[in-house]
Amino acid sequence: MDQKTISQDILLRMVKSFVKNEVAPYDMDIDHTRSYVNDLWSKVKENDFLSLMLPKEYGGAGFDGRTTAKVINEIAKGNASLAVTLEGHFKSVDQIVKYGSDELKNEYLPQAKNRVIAFSMTEPSGGSNPMGINSHAEKSGDKWIINGDKIMITNGGLAEIYCVLVKTAPTELSFFVVDNEMEGFEYGKQENFLGLTGVPVGEIVMNNIEVDESHLLGKVGMGKEIGDSAHDDARVLMGAVLTGIMEHELDLVTDYATHRKAIDTPIIQMQGIQRKVADIAISKETTKLLYQKAAWMKDHGQDYEEEAAMAKAYGSRSAVKAGDDSLQILGGYGYSLDYPIEHLIRDARAMEIAEGTVEKMRTAIALKEAESRA
Amino acid sequence: MKIVVGIKQVPETTNVKINEKTKNIDRRGISGVINQYDRHALEAAFDIKAKTGAEVIVMTMGPDDFVVSLQEALALGADSAILLSDRAFAGADTLATGYVLSEAIKKIGDVDLVLLGQQSVDADTGQMGPIVSEFLDMSQVTYASKLDVDGDTLRIKRYLETVEQDVIAKLPVLVTVTDQANEPKYVNVVEIAKSFEKSVITWHASDLNLDDDRVGQAGSPSVVRSISSPEAVAKDNHKLADNPQDAADELVRILKDKNILVEDK
Repeated sequence: MDQKTISQDILLRMVKSFVKNEVAPYDMDIDHTRSYVNDLWSKVKENDFLSLMLPKEYGGAGFDGRTTAKVINEIAKGNASLAVTLEGHFKSVDQIVKYGSDELKNEYLPQAKNRVIAFSMTEPSGGSNPMGINSHAEKSGDKWIINGDKIMITNGGLAEIYCVLVKTAPTELSFFVVDNEMEGFEYGKQENFLGLTGVPVGEIVMNNIEVDESHLLGKVGMGKEIGDSAHDDARVLMGAVLTGIMEHELDLVTDYATHRKAIDTPIIQMQGIQRKVADIAISKETTKLLYQKAAWMKDHGQDYEEEAAMAKAYGSRSAVKAGDDSLQILGGYGYSLDYPIEHLIRDARAMEIAEGTVEKMRTAIALKEAESRA
Repeated sequence: MKIVVGIKQVPETTNVKINEKTKNIDRRGISGVINQYDRHALEAAFDIKAKTGAEVIVMTMGPDDFVVSLQEALALGADSAILLSDRAFAGADTLATGYVLSEAIKKIGDVDLVLLGQQSVDADTGQMGPIVSEFLDMSQVTYASKLDVDGDTLRIKRYLETVEQDVIAKLPVLVTVTDQANEPKYVNVVEIAKSFEKSVITWHASDLNLDDDRVGQAGSPSVVRSISSPEAVAKDNHKLADNPQDAADELVRILKDKNILVEDK
């Protein structure tokens, strides 16, 4: 066995055990309290989950895209919020690795082990339309002065370091890295979202934050490219989250349908139930294959934009539908706030919007299909 | 101080299948994990290492893919790892396995403490500790729930069914460890990559001073003739009162009558 396979086996053994003992038993509590109860967040940090895909030269474990996605999949089986919190950090770390100056990488990547990094594009005036934003950075000598307001940031409030999209000219988008310890940085309002309630989603306000040139990601004007790159990363991992949600749903419905009887027969023997269970299983497996293919393409340096968009677009609608079918199978229990099905539907529904809407995914897929035939 | 911890890789699932031909566990297609009790034995070794700076050597006997469990033990903090692997070892029962383990421990030499889990969760015999200690002619203490090294002695707490025992053992000693001994830590994500700075050493039959008749199937006097799961049969059904308070009172009374529940004096 090679070193890579052994490492992956050890990691996945640990993650399964961690999820079984520390995450899954608290899934409902996390949803109800909107927080990572039972010191879960400290345990995540203590065991260095934040360093999972951080390159070894910066003190990380250096796992590849496929392994990272498999870990996110396993965690989501226990609790989707925690998986999304990690996804938000990983895609941000990845952009600093990819586009950061050496100075920026040396300053921030070793800190990524303990401090969450977030990625923020959305503003009250624009989300999926980045040109609609108002935040801006102006050059002043050898510094940049940043002003603006970013909302609905995944891990906003929890994260201490932020990659922020700003305008450096009226039609020029660029990314900078700011830190909550900088003068002029303030936390704003926290959102009260319907699903993935464990994930803090919040606002940051930037008042004349002064940063060095080294805090620019890539070059001025690379905002769209970096945003697209982060989205591709995030969409693969969201495919993994959605697979985890559907695996959770399958565990619940197969257990229920095997034990619940109607006319002295377990309902799993009835064709109406079988059809729903089979559809959930097919959707789960398809989403898994889509995200694993996209992750494999990423690891091999190929363009994986379309596959990542498919994993998210197909997976999110399928997981909502699978949740609805699961609710129907469990009947009254499915409709109860005391059972997890209803929050799995709310969690999956978030991913039809976050990281680019499913409508945007379809635009990307359609254009890629046309482009490949042009 | 030198500590050897014997571990076993067991199926991850509790839903194990039995190979009809060999009457052994069918390990094909099932991913393995370190036996739960062995994780406690490892943790006990790491606690002693933290206090005394002891060297921790981890060892297992099995096929090549057991290397994953050894590498995991290295990532958890073991100093070195030995895989005892050879086609000649196949089909070994507890006696033949214990013989090979004890010969490997002899080869390491100057071992002060041998730690094993109280039993494996797949075969469940609990025989390995006593067998290895006999082959090594080393004192043994089974079912240790607390271990403290004090110079050249080891203080051990045993919680048995009706008594609590404090045992003081002079090193060298072999100890089997229960799941009450400690709370095993998870392997740290970053330590997995770092653990490859240490590598797993493989010892084959030819590396050890073995009597051929005592290893593998030839050295295994026990034969599993049949294996079956007991059928669950409901008996002595008794319906408790409908009212929860009355039901609770009745249940307490029944448990006391059967001496299952004993009042504190």
